[in-house]
Amino acid sequence: MPASTAASDQSIVDSRDPETRLRALFDRGTLRLLASGDGSGALAARGEIDGGPVIAFVTDGTRMGGALGSEGCRHIVDAIDTAVRERIPVVGLWHSGGARVDEGVVALDGIGQVFAAMVRASGRVPQISVVLGPAAGGAAYGPALTDIVVMSGAGRIFVTGPEVVRSVTGEQVDMERLGGPEPHGRRSGVVHVTTNNDEDALRTARELAGLLGRQGRLSPADVPAGVEGFDLSSLMPAEANRAYDVKPVIGALLDPPRDGHTGPVELHARWAPNVVTTMGRFAGRTVGVIANNPLRLGGCLDAASAEKAARFVRMCDSLGVPLIVVVDVPGYLPGVGQEWDGVVRRGAKLLHAFAEAVVPRVTLVTRKAYGGAYIAMNSRSLGATAVFAWPTAELAVMGAAAAVNILHRKRLAATPVEEREALRAQLIEEQTHTAGGVNRALEIGVVDEVIEPTDTRRRIAEALAGAPAARGAHGNIPL
Amino acid sequence: MAEEIRAEMVANVWKVVASTGDDVAEGDTLVILESMKMEIPVIAESDGTVQQIAVNEGDVVQEGDLIAVVA
Repeated sequence: MPASTAASDQSIVDSRDPETRLRALFDRGTLRLLASGDGSGALAARGEIDGGPVIAFVTDGTRMGGALGSEGCRHIVDAIDTAVRERIPVVGLWHSGGARVDEGVVALDGIGQVFAAMVRASGRVPQISVVLGPAAGGAAYGPALTDIVVMSGAGRIFVTGPEVVRSVTGEQVDMERLGGPEPHGRRSGVVHVTTNNDEDALRTARELAGLLGRQGRLSPADVPAGVEGFDLSSLMPAEANRAYDVKPVIGALLDPPRDGHTGPVELHARWAPNVVTTMGRFAGRTVGVIANNPLRLGGCLDAASAEKAARFVRMCDSLGVPLIVVVDVPGYLPGVGQEWDGVVRRGAKLLHAFAEAVVPRVTLVTRKAYGGAYIAMNSRSLGATAVFAWPTAELAVMGAAAAVNILHRKRLAATPVEEREALRAQLIEEQTHTAGGVNRALEIGVVDEVIEPTDTRRRIAEALAGAPAARGAHGNIPL
Repeated sequence: MAEEIRAEMVANVWKVVASTGDDVAEGDTLVILESMKMEIPVIAESDGTVQQIAVNEGDVVQEGDLIAVVA
């Protein structure tokens, strides 16, 4: 990216002035206002991000706390409709207390029309929200309806503010604890990316607009093949039961950041962290990566992580972004809390999302894939474009040791104690070979090919490039 | 704000790594659990000092049980 097009008015980013905020989002000198200066509470503009066309709107935090009336809402609706017509991303910068009280129901009707426009655009163009100040009431649901929500340090999202909460429920809470980056980044899942300041929030929005708006082309030939490639397995422990952080593996799988870019963007990093969802470039093209993270909950899937992954899969499918699924999963998390939390209903969303997806989607089983979680992680049966596995991978209903304890309980019990462990070890080896080994999975066709860790990037790139480009014909409901 | 770190699943306490009074950073391992045939580290979610380790090696923790307090 040439330096002259960089967003560089950062010294004044923290100003609430809406035009200044737009200027900081776009490449320098590209801002063209579409609607402004009329006191409506909202501005809209077109401009460029990293040289690509983007529409943006901003609520005017300097005027009545950014409250929206019918006219401001019409500017936002027009901006979204324009983006859809031109098939380009739309970015919303939010700082708004919601509906203008003096306009009454007219303002509510306007905000409802903004929601309807967002849903019309859903799955057709990328919609990114940046929450720079309070986004309350109706303004809370605006960001929530879009594909990705970025929150700055001063951002707050809530339906009812601390005063109302206090008067109704008696709970004492401030705006930050009620709806700041901490609760929404970790507990609610409302926000995909939290940043310390406005500058980082806008930089993240620029990166995401570039990734989704200009996805690029896959060039597998640029990826080293065979033993020339990076050994991804070197980032994992040798012992199968040892936990590790999968994020460095994703970092090594994806392309390194290009000049002037932040590189891959992880979504929902602190919410449901046992599954990782990251947007980045791979062999030159935008992809979405979904990976189990053994560092958290042993990498088990649970209700929240299945829902997080399902929404990510549906977003990528609706916007035509291919998927890479990195599997190392011991199963679904057992527990009363999980069952009551709807692990069946919310887990079903992930099955539905993968089975429905038409974008190229390649699965890599690195260490293990057990049970129902094996199916959920883009298995052959759910229609994966290709399923690869490393030579030491295990695919099974459960781990071999657990299976032996169930299948050979009586035989083990009847064996003299001194011989029992030797028999157990032998049975585990047989079980691994017949039911869990990767060769058996290859034989029955649930793994297409066993590949070497060094050759992995190249093979995934070839598989993605060889699949027909397709895009799901559906919106991206905020699951 | 004191942060209570609770078990997210039924597990055996395999190793207690941190002690009361230790300064920890976000991501540091406090305790290692064993469940689902996996060693599962319980990590600090924020920087702070360990106020309490509520489990001993060999304990069985249920979902929701207190493991540690970091403030």
